[in-house]
Amino acid sequence: MESSASLADKLASKTASNNSLDSSSKSSSLGSKHGQNGVLRDTPFAYLDGEEDQDQKNDVTYVCPYRGPVFGALTITNYRLYFRSLPLRDQEPPVVVDVPLGVIARVEKIGGATSRGENSYGIEIFCKDMRNLRFAHKQQNHSRRTVFEKLQTNAFPLSYSGRLFAFAHAAAASAVNGGSSGWDGWAVYEPLAELRRLGVPNDMWRATKLNESYTICDSYPAVWAVPKAASDDFLRRVAQFRSRCRLPVLSWMNPRTQATITRCSQPLVGVSGKRNADDETYLSYIMEANAQSDKLTIMDARPSANAIANKAKGGGYESEDAYKNVEINFLDIHNIHVMRESLRKVKEACFPTTDDSKWQTAIDNTLWLKHIRCILAGAVRIVDKVETMSTSVVVHCSDGWDRTAQLTALSMLLLDPHYRTVRGFEVLIEKEWLSFGHKFQQRIGHGDNKHSDADRSPVFLQFIDSVWQVSQQFNNAFEFNEHFLITIVDHLYSCRFGTFLCNTEAERVTEDLKHKTTSLWTHINSSLDQYLNPLFPSFTQGAELVLRPIASVRALRLWKGLYCRWNPGLCVPQHGCQRTRELLSKQDQLFKHVNELRLKSNNRSNSMQTTTRLASPMH
Amino acid sequence: MATGGSGAGSGSGGAGNDHYKRNTFTSYVAPLPGDMRATADTNEWCLPSDLRDVHLARPRLLPGEQIVASAPAYMYSPIEPMDSSINISHNNSNGNGMASVNDGGSHKEATFGLLSVTNFKLAFVPLHATSKRNPEAGVVTAPLCDLYQENTYLGRNEITLNNIDQIYTIAELGRAASALQAARMASHVSRRKKLEPFKQHNISGRIAALHIVCKNFRLLKFAFQQQDSKLSGASDHGKLIASALVRFAYPMRHDLSFAYAYREPYYSTLGPATGTSMYASKNDWARELIRCGATEWQVVSSASVPLLQNPLHAGKYTVPPHFVIPKSCTVDRFLDLSRAFCDSRAAFWVYSYGASAASLVRLAELQPAAQQDTKLENVMLELVRKCDERRQLKLLQLTDRLPSIQDVRRSYQKLRRLCTPETPEKFMLQDDKYLGLIEKTNWLFYVSLCLRYSSEAAATLRSGITCVLQESNGRDLCCAISSLTQLLLDPHFRTIDGFQSLVQKEWVALEHPFQRRLGHVYTAQGSGSGGSGSSGGNNGSELLEGEQSPVFLLFLDCVWQLLQQFPDEFEFTQTYLTSLWDACFMPIFDTFQFDTQAQRSKAVLDSQLVLRPVWDWGEQFSDKDKMFFSNPLYQRQKGDLAGAQSSAAGAGAAHRRSLAVGHNRGGTAGGASGSTPSRNTINPQLFATVSSVPQDRFLQPAHRICDLSVWDQCYYRWLPVLDIRGGGQPQVDLFHRLLLSNIAKVQRCLELQSYEELPDAYFEVTGESRSSLQKEETPVEDEAEYVDGVERRRKPTTKAGTPTNGFSPVSGNHLQLSSLSSFFPFGSPIAGDAPHQLYDILNSSSELLQDTTSILDKSSIL
Repeated sequence: MESSASLADKLASKTASNNSLDSSSKSSSLGSKHGQNGVLRDTPFAYLDGEEDQDQKNDVTYVCPYRGPVFGALTITNYRLYFRSLPLRDQEPPVVVDVPLGVIARVEKIGGATSRGENSYGIEIFCKDMRNLRFAHKQQNHSRRTVFEKLQTNAFPLSYSGRLFAFAHAAAASAVNGGSSGWDGWAVYEPLAELRRLGVPNDMWRATKLNESYTICDSYPAVWAVPKAASDDFLRRVAQFRSRCRLPVLSWMNPRTQATITRCSQPLVGVSGKRNADDETYLSYIMEANAQSDKLTIMDARPSANAIANKAKGGGYESEDAYKNVEINFLDIHNIHVMRESLRKVKEACFPTTDDSKWQTAIDNTLWLKHIRCILAGAVRIVDKVETMSTSVVVHCSDGWDRTAQLTALSMLLLDPHYRTVRGFEVLIEKEWLSFGHKFQQRIGHGDNKHSDADRSPVFLQFIDSVWQVSQQFNNAFEFNEHFLITIVDHLYSCRFGTFLCNTEAERVTEDLKHKTTSLWTHINSSLDQYLNPLFPSFTQGAELVLRPIASVRALRLWKGLYCRWNPGLCVPQHGCQRTRELLSKQDQLFKHVNELRLKSNNRSNSMQTTTRLASPMH
Repeated sequence: MATGGSGAGSGSGGAGNDHYKRNTFTSYVAPLPGDMRATADTNEWCLPSDLRDVHLARPRLLPGEQIVASAPAYMYSPIEPMDSSINISHNNSNGNGMASVNDGGSHKEATFGLLSVTNFKLAFVPLHATSKRNPEAGVVTAPLCDLYQENTYLGRNEITLNNIDQIYTIAELGRAASALQAARMASHVSRRKKLEPFKQHNISGRIAALHIVCKNFRLLKFAFQQQDSKLSGASDHGKLIASALVRFAYPMRHDLSFAYAYREPYYSTLGPATGTSMYASKNDWARELIRCGATEWQVVSSASVPLLQNPLHAGKYTVPPHFVIPKSCTVDRFLDLSRAFCDSRAAFWVYSYGASAASLVRLAELQPAAQQDTKLENVMLELVRKCDERRQLKLLQLTDRLPSIQDVRRSYQKLRRLCTPETPEKFMLQDDKYLGLIEKTNWLFYVSLCLRYSSEAAATLRSGITCVLQESNGRDLCCAISSLTQLLLDPHFRTIDGFQSLVQKEWVALEHPFQRRLGHVYTAQGSGSGGSGSSGGNNGSELLEGEQSPVFLLFLDCVWQLLQQFPDEFEFTQTYLTSLWDACFMPIFDTFQFDTQAQRSKAVLDSQLVLRPVWDWGEQFSDKDKMFFSNPLYQRQKGDLAGAQSSAAGAGAAHRRSLAVGHNRGGTAGGASGSTPSRNTINPQLFATVSSVPQDRFLQPAHRICDLSVWDQCYYRWLPVLDIRGGGQPQVDLFHRLLLSNIAKVQRCLELQSYEELPDAYFEVTGESRSSLQKEETPVEDEAEYVDGVERRRKPTTKAGTPTNGFSPVSGNHLQLSSLSSFFPFGSPIAGDAPHQLYDILNSSSELLQDTTSILDKSSIL
C-alpha cells in the first residue's frame, strides 16, 4: 500500500486518472505510450530508448482487410514495424500500423516476379496477437528484399545470433537516466516477504534456500516453503520421484485454517506402478501440516486418460492405495497442443472478418470457452476444498508448469483478495508463473523463427483470459481493469521488457535480466492510473473475499476486447464507467470539502487535539 | 381438503370448514370420471406425522380465491448445483444455517409441503418454513429475505395459473415407496409426457412427478409419494394435481380468469401527477401531438364518430377508441379506406421527430382479398406523404424483414428449453455446445433484426423523412419496431414514466393482442376472444397455439440489449424489465390481459371487472422493491420532464405535464378554465408547433448478433447454478448506490452544518477513526437507530470488516459491501451482510435519484 500520500493526492488520483482510460482501453497498449524517455525524431512515433531505424520505405501499400489498400511509408526499427498512410483527403485520419517485432510469428513473401494483379507482390506477416498484416511492394524497385531481411533479423534475433530488444532498451535507458530511476518492478516480488504475508515460517512450514544454486531442481525457484517435518536430505530424495525433480512445494496457505495449495509434477510411477516411501511420507507431512483436515486432495489437471497414458512414459499419478488418506481428482484440462489448436480456430473466427449469422457456432466450434470453463471449474474445485473443507490440495499435471500454474494461480486469485490488486497480481505472476518455471521462452518463442514449434502454446494467455472472465463476473473485485490485462498480453510478446523472457528463474539469473532489462512492472506501475478499475471500491473491501465464479459456458464470453480488437467493426465502443467516475469525483470533492471545513472548525474550537488527526497517513 | 370441486364435486371432506364449502366457480372442463377420489383428510389417521401436519401448510388466499385441489408433495430445485460442497460453504461461512432454511432444494433432498391448485395460482407451502433445528435462524434470516423481490399476491413458491405453459407428467416406474425414490423420479425424464389442454386425459398409471414449465422460464418440479391407504384405495396425489391443473390452467374463456373473481376495489395510487400517460383519452394523444410538434395530424375518437356508433356499421371496423390520422383526410374517408386493411389498421400516427416533424406511422397490410389492388394503399400513403414537410416518405415493410409471430414463438420455445434443463446432465450437455444451441434458437437473430430495423426507422426520422411501418395486421412486430424506434430517438421514453407511456401507447392503446399472444385463453375455436376484437387474420379453425407468440418479450429483450449498450441512458433497470415480463401473467392487472380496448370495456360492463393498471407497482411491490427499478447510473437531464418546464421551447412538454396535473394555463389553452380538466379537450392548434423532443440524445445501438448477449437475469434466474454469489450487475449497482448514498449524506451534512452523520466511507478515506470523533456525543454506538421506520444500524467501526478469512492485506476499519447475487433481486437469498445497511444505502441513494436537479449541478453549493 502506498503510504504518506496526502489526502488531496489520494482523492485526486482516483478520479483524475481515469480519463486517460477511455481513449486507449480498447486499443493496443503498445503504440500509444509516449514515455518520458521516448525520443521524438522527425517520425510520427516516439522512439523508445535504444530503438534504432533499420529500414524505411516510402512506397509501400498496406492491404488493410477493412479499409482496403492504403499507400504510405513503412519504417522498421529494431523494435517495431511502423506504417503510416499518406493522407489522401484532409479529413481522414491516416491508417497507422504499429507492431512490435516481438509480436511477429512468421514473415512470408507473397507473389513472385511474375505476379500479376494489384497488390499481389509483397510480404505477409503473421502475428501472435491474432492478426495478419499484408504489405504490397512494387516489383521494380526491389524494396521488398531489404524489408523482408530486416524483418527476419530483427523479429527473430535469436535465429540470427542477435539479442532481444529488451537488452538494448534497458542499456540505453540506463545510459539516459543514469541508472535506476524511480520504482523498480523487479522488486515487486520478494519470495520471503510473500511467504511471510502468508504466515510462513510457522509451526508446520519453513522456508528453505536449498535450491539456491538451482541444483536440486533447475526449473524451480531458489526459495521454497516446505513442511517443517521434511529435512533437506529428505527433500532431495522426494525430488527424485517427481518428474524433472519438481517436488511438492507450497504455493499458498490460508493463514486462518492452514489449508494449503502445493504444486508439483507427476510422480514417476510408470507402468509397473512404482512406489516411493519418501514421496508418500512427504504428502502425509503436507496433510498433517493442516490440522483442520485428515485428508489430502490431489488435483490432477489432466483428463484421466492422459494421466494413465503418461504411465507409459514413466509418469502417472498417485494411486489412492499407495497414498493414505489421499483422494485424487482429474480436472480434465487438455494439453498445450489442444489449446494451441483451439486458439488457432479463434483467430480464424475473429480475423479478418466474421460471419455474424454463424458467429456463435464458429465460437462454439473453437472449444476455447469450453477449455476456459474446465480451467475455471478446476480452480473452483480447489477453492472449495481449501476454503470450504479446509483440506489441503496438491496440484499437478505432467510437468507442473503449464496447467498446474493455471490452476494454482487462478485458485489463489479467487481465494486471496491481495492477488486481485495490481501489485498482488504482479506478485502472483512472478511467483506462480515465472519463478516456478513456466517456459515462457518456449511457449511464446521470443525472437525465434520456428513458428510451428510444437512447444508453443497459449497457456499463459488462457490464464489471463480466465482472469478476465472472473473479472467480468465480479466487476468490482479487481483493482485493475481490462486494459491492464491487455497490456500484459501485449508485452508478453513484445520483448521490450525482461519480465517474460527465458524459461526458468535459473536462466533469468544467468542472463542477469534484473540488471540488463527493465521489468514490465516498472513500466506499468509508473503510470498506474490507466490500469485502475473505477468500480473497485477504494474505501471498502471488495464485496467478496473468496470468489466462486460460475464455470459454465452460459456465464462465459469470448473476450472480444482482446481477440477481436483489430477488427474495427467488432469493437463496440465501451460506454464504460464515465458516470462512475463522475460520481467518484463528486464524492471525493465533497469529502475534501467537508474535511477542510471540519479542520477549520476544529482549529477554531479546539486547538488541543486536532493537529494529528488529519495529517495521519492513509494506511 | 377440498376436492377438485366442480358441479359433481361431492368431496367427502367435512362441510363445516369454509374451505370445504362447495365451490362456486364453474368448471372449465367436464370432470373426468374417476378423478374425484377421496383426498387426504379421510385417511389422515394413517399418514406419517409429517403428512398429517401438512394441512398446516395452507397457502394464503386472496379474496375470491379458492382451493381446487391440494396434496402433499416434494418440491425440487430446478437443478442441483453442480458441486454440492458449495452449499456447505454457506453454512460454514455464516454460521446461522441460512442455506438450510430457505430452500431445502439446495440440499440434495427436496422440500416437503403442501401443493395446492387454486383458481388463481399453483402454490407450494413448505411444511417447515422455518427450520426446526434452528428456531432462531428464521428470525435472523427474515430481514434478508425481505431484500429479494416479494410480490404481494404471490409467494416465492407460487406461480399464477396464467404463467403455466406446459405440464409434464412423469409416470411411475415401479413403485416409489420412499421419498428418495420419488426424488429419482422427479428428475427422470424418460417417461415424461406432456399434458395437452382440451384433451380428455385418461391419466393411466400413477403420476410420480410433475414438471411445470412456466412462460417466464421457470421450471417447477414436484414429486408425490405413494400412499398405501387401506381406507380409500390408492390416493394418487399426482393425478389429483395434474387433472386440476389441466382444467384450471388452460381456461377456454377469459371470463374464467381469476381477474373476474377478484373483486377487491382498486384505489389508484397513480396520482394525476404521475407521468405515465395511458393514452386512454383524446387529450393524451393530443398532448403527444403537441410534444412532438406534429401539426398535420388529428386525433379521432371512435365515440364521436357517428359511423362507429351505428350498430349496423360498427362491426365492420376494428379501430381503437382513439387514433391519429392525417388532417387532410376526413374521418369518414379514412374509415372507408381502412376497410381495405387488415384489422382496419390504416396509417395511424404514433410519433414525430425533429424540426420538420417527420412522422412514424403504423400501417397494416391490405386485406388478403384486396391485395391485388394496391390502389387503396397508394391513396393511404399519399395522404401520409402530404403530412410530411418535405413530402417524403419511406415505407418499411416489416413482414418481409422480420420473423413471423410463429417464428418468434418457435424461437422462444427453443430458447426456453435451453433455460429449463430438468437434470444436471442435461444442463451440462447443453453447456457443451451452448453457443451453437443458442444460435439455433434464432432468438438473438430476431433481436438483432428488431434493433436493426428500428435503427433504420430512427435514422429515417432523423433525416427528416416520414417512416411508415407496415406489417400484416399492424399490431405485432409493428409495436416492437415502433416503440424501439421511439426509445432510440427520445430520451423521454427512457424514463420510467416515459417507458410506461410508450408501452401504453404502442402496445395497449393501439391493441397488441396480448390475450392471444400470451396465451391467456386457450380455445379450440376462434370465437373465444369474447368480443369485437377477433377478426382479420384470425380464422376459426386454427388452434390458438398458433396465435401465441411472446412478441412483447422480444421487445423487452431488445430494450434490455439497449440497456447493456447504454447503461446510463435509462431510468429503469433490468429488474424493472424482468418484473414487467412477470407482470404479464398477473391476471389481477388488466394491462396485458386483453386484445382490444373494446374487449376491456366489455369486460368492465358485462362482468364488472375491476381495472387495475400494472403501472401502479405499489399494488404488487413494496417501496423497497420499487427502488430496484431505478437505475443508479441514470441522471435526470434537463431535457427530461422536470427540466422541460424551464425551457422556453418546451411549451408542449410543459403543458403535457401541467395539464396532467390539472392546471391549465388559461391564456394559451384558449381560455379553458373549467374546474374539471378532464372534460376539456385540448386543441393542438392552440399550442406551439415546435417539437420539444431533444434532438441530440438519440442512440445508435450495435445490432449484430456478436454485439448481443443473452438476458441472463430474466432467462437464467431460476437456475441457481448460474447465480454468481457476490457478483454480477447487482453488485455494481449497489456500488453506485453506495456512492450516491455517500454523496447524499455528505450534502445533507453540509446543508445542516453538522458532521455527525457522515458516511462511513468518509472515515475510511480520511483514515480518521469515527469512534474517536464520537466519543463525546454517542458513547453507545452499536445501537440501532430507527429512521423512517427503517432500522439503521451503523457498523461499529472498531469491529467492522473483520475479514472472515483473517488475512486482510490492509489494516482493518473497512466497510464490507453486502453480497448480492447476480440474479438479485430474483434467485435465492444468500447470506450476506446486514440488510439494514442496504436499506440505508437504498434510501439515501434514492433521494438523489428521485431528485430532479442534477447531482452535478449541486456542486455549485461548494
